[in-house]
Amino acid sequence: MSARNAWRRADVLLPLASFALVLLAFLVVPGMRGEEVTDASLFNGLQGFAPLGLIALALGLTLIAGEFDVSVLGMQALGGVLAVRAGGSAGLLGVLAAVAGCGLLGLVQGVAIARLQLQSLSVTIGTYVVLLGLTNVIAGDDTLSFGNVGASVWVDQQLLSWFSPRSLITIGIFLAALVLLSATRIGPEIKAIGSNRRAGRGSGVPVERRLAALFTCSGALAGLAGALLSYSNASASLDPGLGPLILATAAAVLGGLSLSGGRGTIWGLLLGALAVALLQQLFAILALPTSTTQIVFGALLLVVVTIDAPELRTTLSGAAVRRRTERQRVEERTP
Amino acid sequence: MRRPTTIPLVLALAALIVLAATTDRFFTWDNVKAILSSASLVGIVALGLTFVTLAGSMVSLAVGPSAVLAAMVFLSALNAGLLPALLLAIAAGAAIAALQGALVGLWNVNPVILTIGAGFLIVGFAEKAYGEATVRPEGGGFATLNSVPLGIPVAVYVMIGVALAFQYLLTRTVLGRQILLVGESREAARAAGIPVARVVTAAFALAGAAYALGGAFLGSFNMGASTYLEGTLTFDAIAAVLIGGTSIAGGHGSPLRTLGGALAVAAITDLLLLRGLGTGPQILLKGLLVVTVVIATQRRLNGAQA
Repeated sequence: MSARNAWRRADVLLPLASFALVLLAFLVVPGMRGEEVTDASLFNGLQGFAPLGLIALALGLTLIAGEFDVSVLGMQALGGVLAVRAGGSAGLLGVLAAVAGCGLLGLVQGVAIARLQLQSLSVTIGTYVVLLGLTNVIAGDDTLSFGNVGASVWVDQQLLSWFSPRSLITIGIFLAALVLLSATRIGPEIKAIGSNRRAGRGSGVPVERRLAALFTCSGALAGLAGALLSYSNASASLDPGLGPLILATAAAVLGGLSLSGGRGTIWGLLLGALAVALLQQLFAILALPTSTTQIVFGALLLVVVTIDAPELRTTLSGAAVRRRTERQRVEERTP
Repeated sequence: MRRPTTIPLVLALAALIVLAATTDRFFTWDNVKAILSSASLVGIVALGLTFVTLAGSMVSLAVGPSAVLAAMVFLSALNAGLLPALLLAIAAGAAIAALQGALVGLWNVNPVILTIGAGFLIVGFAEKAYGEATVRPEGGGFATLNSVPLGIPVAVYVMIGVALAFQYLLTRTVLGRQILLVGESREAARAAGIPVARVVTAAFALAGAAYALGGAFLGSFNMGASTYLEGTLTFDAIAAVLIGGTSIAGGHGSPLRTLGGALAVAAITDLLLLRGLGTGPQILLKGLLVVTVVIATQRRLNGAQA
C-alpha cells in the first residue's frame, strides 16, 4: 500500500527529488573537475531555461489534459521567423506577431482536435510538418538574420546577476500559470479532462472550450519561445530539430507529469524544467561533446517514457501481488 | 468494410493529375525515371515503417537516424565485400529497432516518444563510433548499389522487390496476420493468445531491416554518410505510409499502399520542383496531405465507435 501511495505522490516527490539531485550535481561536480560555479554559470543555466521552460509549459499544459502536442516544435520555428520578419524596427511588435500568429494557429488546431475528437499525438505530427513548411515559405527557404541589434541586446542583458529579461519572462509566465491554475477551477478541470474525460464532461467541465484554450496557450507559448530565442541568436532557424521536444518531455516527466495525462502541477513542471536546464548547463561547464549530451538526454527520455508506460506498472504490481500471495501462503503453512 | 481513406486519396490523386497534366515535361520518360528513383530511397524505408504503423505503434521518429547509422556501418564494412557489409548493416538496423519494439511490445511504452529518444541516442552513438567527419566507403562495392540496369536505378528494383516480399509476408504468413490483429486491438490479440510482445518486436525488426537497407542505398548514393544525411527522411517516410492509406491507428493498410504513397509523394515533390517551387511549399503540401489523411482516418474510426 505504501508503494502505491508513493506512486500517487509522484507529482510531488519526483520534481523535488530530480531538482535537488541536479542542483547538487551542478554545485558539486564542476568543483571536482577543478571548474568553478559562478554567477555566470547560473545566468547561463537560466538562459537555457528561458526557451525550455516555455516549451515545457506549452507541452505540459496539454499533457495534464491527456494530450500530446508535437507541434510545439513547429510553433517555435514559426514564432522565430514571424518575430524576425515583424520585429525589425520594433522588437515588441515581432513578439506580438509571433504570439498572436502561433496562438491563432493553436486555436484552430485545438478547436479541430476538441470538436472532431482527434488523437492529438498523431495529428500534431502532421501539423508540425505543416508549420515547418509555413516557416520555410515565410522565410523564403533561407535562415533569416535579425537586424534589430537593440532588441537582441535587450533580451539578454544581465539583471540581478543571475537573470535576463528572457528568463524573467519565462519565470513570470510560470507564476501567472501557477496562480491561474490553483486559484480558479481551471486547474482541477484540466486534470479531470486528462484523467477521465467522460466523467469530467458529465460533471459539467466545458471540455471542448478548455482543450481549445490549452492548445491556444501551447501555440502562443511556443511561439513566444521561438521569438525570444531568435532575438537572442539574432537569426531565426528554420528547423529546431527534435531536440527541444526531447528536453521538454524530459522536463515534464521529471516534473511529475504523466504521459497518460491527469497528473502534475505547474510548480512541479517548473522544477522539472529547471532541473533539465541546469543539467544542460552542467554538461556545458564540463565541456562534454554533443554526442555525449545527446546520448544522456536520449537515454533519459527512454528511461522516463518506459517508467511511464501503462503496462509496466501492471506487470510490476502483478508481480508484487503474486509475491504477496506467495508470502501469505507460506505464512499460513507455518503457524 | 470501407477503406479508411478512400475519399481524400481520390481527391488528392485527382488534383495531382490535373496539376500534372498542365505542367510541362511532367509526362516524359526521363521525368518518370526521376520520380521512380527519388521514390526508391524513401520507399524502401517507408515499406519498413508500414509494419510499425500496422502493428499499432503509430510511427517511428527514429527512422532517419537509424538509416544514417546503417549507412555508416555499411560504408565502413565495405572492405569485407558488398554482401557482408549489407548484411551487417541490415542486422544492426534490425537489432536496434527490435530493442525499441520489445519495449513497446512488452509494456506498451509510448512508441512516438520512445523513438524520439532512441533517435537521439542513435545519433549520439553514431558520432561516438564514427566521429563527426563524414564516413567514406572502405571498398568499391557501393558502386553496385548505384548502378542503373536497363536505365533504372537498382534501388527501384529493390523497392519493388521489398514491396512484394513484405506484401506476401503481411497477407500470407502467420506473423503478418498477427501484426494486423495486434494493430487492430492489443487487448483482443492478447486475449486470443497472440504473443503481443514478440509480434511487435518482429514488426519493429522488419522495419529496422528496411531502414538499414534504405540507409545503405542512401550512403552509396552520397558516397559517404554523416549525421546530416538524414534530411527529411523520417517525415517523408511517414508521409509515404500515411498518404498511401495505412491507418495511423494500426491494423489496416499494406506495403503495396505504401509503395503507392511513396510514388505519390515523389511525384508531388517532382511536380512542385518542375513548377519552380522551393523546399517550403513542398514541406507544407506534404504536411497538409498527412494532416488531411490522419483526420479522415480518425473521423472514420470515431464514427465506427459511436
